[in-house]
Amino acid sequence: MSLVFIPEDMDWVCEPCGERLQPGKVELTYLGNAFHVELPVCPKCGAVYIYEELALGRIHEVEQLLEDK
Amino acid sequence: MDQKELREWEAKCIQEEPPACRAGCPLNVDARAFVLSMARGDLDAARAVLEKSMPLAAVTARLCEAPCEVYCIRKDLGGAIAVGGLERLCIRETSPKGKIPRLPARPRKVAVIGSGPSSLTVAFDLARKGHPISVYHLGEKPGGWLRGLDESILPQSVLDAELQRLGSLHVTFVAVPALDAALIEAHPADAVYVGQDDTIAPDLLDLLTPPDPETMALERPGWFTGGLAGREFRFISAVSQGREAAVSIDRFLQNASLTSSRVPLRDGRTDLFTQTFGIEPVERVVPSGQGGFTRDEAVREAGRCIDCQCLECVKHCVYLAEHGGYPKSYARRVFNNSAIVQGMRQANTFINSCSMCGQCETLCPNDFSMADMCLDARREMVNLNRMPPSAHWFALEEMRSAKDAQAALIRHAPGASASDAIFFPGCQLAGIRPEQTLRLYDRLLEIEPRTGIWLDCCAAPAHWAGRQEEFVAILSEMEKIWSGMGRPMVVTACSTCLKMFREHLPAFGAVSVWTLLSESGVQASSTGRPLALSDPCTSRHDAQTRDAVRSLLARLGQPLAELPMSGELTECCGFGGLMDNANPALARKVAQARVAQSEADFLTYCAMCREQLSRTGKPVLHILDLLFPETARPAQEPPAGISARRVNRRRLKDELLARHGLDRGPKEPWEDVRLVVSGEVAAMLEERRILEDDVRRVLFAASKGGRVLRHAGDGRIIAASRLGEVTFWVEYREGEDGYEILKAWSHRMRITGGDL
Repeated sequence: MSLVFIPEDMDWVCEPCGERLQPGKVELTYLGNAFHVELPVCPKCGAVYIYEELALGRIHEVEQLLEDK
Repeated sequence: MDQKELREWEAKCIQEEPPACRAGCPLNVDARAFVLSMARGDLDAARAVLEKSMPLAAVTARLCEAPCEVYCIRKDLGGAIAVGGLERLCIRETSPKGKIPRLPARPRKVAVIGSGPSSLTVAFDLARKGHPISVYHLGEKPGGWLRGLDESILPQSVLDAELQRLGSLHVTFVAVPALDAALIEAHPADAVYVGQDDTIAPDLLDLLTPPDPETMALERPGWFTGGLAGREFRFISAVSQGREAAVSIDRFLQNASLTSSRVPLRDGRTDLFTQTFGIEPVERVVPSGQGGFTRDEAVREAGRCIDCQCLECVKHCVYLAEHGGYPKSYARRVFNNSAIVQGMRQANTFINSCSMCGQCETLCPNDFSMADMCLDARREMVNLNRMPPSAHWFALEEMRSAKDAQAALIRHAPGASASDAIFFPGCQLAGIRPEQTLRLYDRLLEIEPRTGIWLDCCAAPAHWAGRQEEFVAILSEMEKIWSGMGRPMVVTACSTCLKMFREHLPAFGAVSVWTLLSESGVQASSTGRPLALSDPCTSRHDAQTRDAVRSLLARLGQPLAELPMSGELTECCGFGGLMDNANPALARKVAQARVAQSEADFLTYCAMCREQLSRTGKPVLHILDLLFPETARPAQEPPAGISARRVNRRRLKDELLARHGLDRGPKEPWEDVRLVVSGEVAAMLEERRILEDDVRRVLFAASKGGRVLRHAGDGRIIAASRLGEVTFWVEYREGEDGYEILKAWSHRMRITGGDL
């Protein structure tokens, strides 16, 4: 399963790398479950950006589902 | 919860017990459902209720003497509901539901001697079960004495139609000249029923011994009887005996025991409790015409039904009402939640939302305790590693923080080397009202100079969260600390701490500070206006503390406004049992419902009640506002909030240590990170359970060379840190007065390889 989560505003620069964020592959895990998704990532250092809407929306939902599983 | 425990819990809740009317009906007609359908004007639904339990409903409903009315709870409040009259109107105004279902045919024959009501009942009940029935009757048509009734009571056409329906169930009617012994010999059958509510020949009557009153079986195997004379309600008693005989005959034909697991007639006995307090008497509707109720009259009469239910607990508890059931059904939910092997555990939030306030147990005629049931379930979830990690996380973190080196403290009084008493304000009073905590401590020092101070948390959150192991470990540690202080008497300002100590650390000999103050006197004044005193739920069984508070208030001359659910019946503010953690929206509803119970401003002696109730916007005072007017805070003051509570605990510790000429030692490096937080952002942080301390830690890490994201357009910055189980993200700008916080969010999911 590959899901793409990219915010409207991608005008973010990683410091100190100085690189603009780009979509990149990321692994998220919770309670022993792993998910492969595409998120904004610094192409140099690999730092991942989990934006507000994603954290409070889909991620929160999945966390709750996994907690009740 | 296992099956046995489920049965035990279920047995305690009486909500599913039949209402008195149904218990008083020998046919087990659900008279409550019938009357309520009538009250809705839904006569078809009402008829369906009758047909479900009555044999030949068109006949039975017309002749039923309604013994249920004897038991009706309405009887002393304007008169029993006229169920009999309603039955007749209903049956007159509606048509039969359709074909009567019949089970697959069975081989063994039944002979029914006589065709009075009891015999027709036997034929009806057994024919539906597939038994072939022959009814032997006198005269041209079956029906016995029913044939002699006036048309206004039972039209012959109705009786004919019902008998025709009976015929469609493979009942054969055989006209015979006499209902005698020879008849039985001439027509052998596997079982014989003799209906004595018809004209039975003397030779056959002589063969009948008195039947077993429960099974209606005669001594001769396979012989049964009913319709005996001398019962109070001639018709319905005959039908009832026919029904009991039919149950026995069915069992006999299957070679089953006539008595095993047989449900006896209730004769009105039920354990259902119905509160009648506050129900106004309403007089019975008298039919205007000779022919009984009109439709409108019937609907009005049915509208008098109390709709007997227990629901004593549900009526007063937002949590119980919110989930649409009652404790018995909730026990099944909890059981199913624990029994599930694969799939979603639907009741986790339900189990974690109970405030464990104990009100249901006090209200319940059988002491059903949702608190005990939910606590057991939570402990099981923790033990099986099934407790959702986020359910109680915030409260547990707060507990641990109140116990850590930055906030916790235990000291003898300044200048004293021992303590006779030790003041344990409770972590929430310390966090919510630090100045008043100090003022109260000073008052205690006046009363007893050798009073030490103990800032800590009683571990109630671990207990409520079902984390028994952690709870026991904390208690044991606390007992050691207390022993190290010379085992002084513990004086607490928190009803929860008091309850925890009394139940789990009885050696503390814990007393309430309010009891102590009421014995020593205070100099203060009342607000003048009446206040609604809301007892904390953890004082429910602590009459001594509740009385002490009232006596203190009486001495201040403080008038109290009426608040019905008080004392033993008091309600939770929404924090208890960690409801606010697992289900914040419900906690808000609970607080709203509580403050709506009085127009007056509220007064409480629990810091957390003050915090939760004031979140609704209701003016709420803490008793310390009255006892020490120089430190009083306005009733309208908003709650302290989660962030200030942490800072306040540290400050209180600083102030107390300063009295000893000491300080807290090295501060946390992030403690002095300066934040600029608007009211709007503060509300966002509060709602998202993000502490300003969390924000400080994220920003401190970023300032020490951590990675950040900077917006290429407007220069906003985003930083993130994993703090324990949670990753926190902060969006901000750097300003001269500190970091201007724009927003913050968090998640528990981990990013493989780290966040920022």
